[in-house]
Amino acid sequence: MNTKLAQMQADLLQARGLAEPQKILDIIPYSSFIGAQARVENERVLYWLERRASNIGNPSLPAIHGGVIGGFLELSAAIEILYTLDVGQIPKVVDFSLDYLRPGRYKTIYANCTVLRQGKKLVNVTATAWQDDPQTPIATARCHFLIA
Amino acid sequence: MDLKLAIFKPMLKLAMERNGHGAALGFELTKIGRGEVEMTFPYKEEVIGNPITGVIHGGVIVSLLDTCCGTAAITMLDRPAITPTMDLRLDYMHPAEPHQPIYVSAKVYRNTSNVLFCRGSAWQDDPENPIAHCVATFMKVETPSISLGNVLRRRFNRLIRGDKAFEREADR
Repeated sequence: MNTKLAQMQADLLQARGLAEPQKILDIIPYSSFIGAQARVENERVLYWLERRASNIGNPSLPAIHGGVIGGFLELSAAIEILYTLDVGQIPKVVDFSLDYLRPGRYKTIYANCTVLRQGKKLVNVTATAWQDDPQTPIATARCHFLIA
Repeated sequence: MDLKLAIFKPMLKLAMERNGHGAALGFELTKIGRGEVEMTFPYKEEVIGNPITGVIHGGVIVSLLDTCCGTAAITMLDRPAITPTMDLRLDYMHPAEPHQPIYVSAKVYRNTSNVLFCRGSAWQDDPENPIAHCVATFMKVETPSISLGNVLRRRFNRLIRGDKAFEREADR
């Protein structure tokens, strides 16, 4: 248990040092389940989710499953905390609120996250997802995480 | 039970369990009633969110509750329509115990002309001690594109072309 934790904390430090948030995603099995990826772009972390058949919700449209969009944004928000803040454990999600603005079409989804407030125990993060244009988001989310 | 409902329920069950993300997750719809749906999700290592504790990722709970509430919303429709989610809010009460199945239930508590209001909960050993609770709202959008003919045409297209059919439709 402790060796696993020490290994994860070493991986976190390495990811921050190399500016490779993808290394944090690699720690979490769920990210490869949905196919989430991340890289640093314009000094922010850009998250993206390439289209794949196992993420489809409504096959007759076809549209990306709303739960996948939610899961992707929640995952991105957690990675944003692990990458930008000095946190050594996977943050615990307390609540998650998601507004769907447009259908998620069957193509790549991008996301950006912003840490709005960091307290000793609680962090508030917002995440926005888009496909063609960052100005026309397909969903926005906000969530609270416990970090201690 | 009338004939329409008798055909509709297994079709809905199939549509949810055998397609896309539903099939990838591998849950089972155990009850489909008008405005009330229940499902079961077995533990899966692929969806772990915390590699130290083995607890599954919250995103899975989002998908399960969204599917469960969405299915409950569809059962309330009297005419062909789609029910896109407007918003979904989840409260996580405690982490899911690893290696244990998760039970999910959802209920439509208000049905208006344009909007359906749902609540759902996910639990493991005790429904009174849920791991998460959610409220979700769904829009009623009537659309001719989901007529039976159209659905069958797309199905047939997919049968022949496989996943390429999705890509073609998305690129159009």
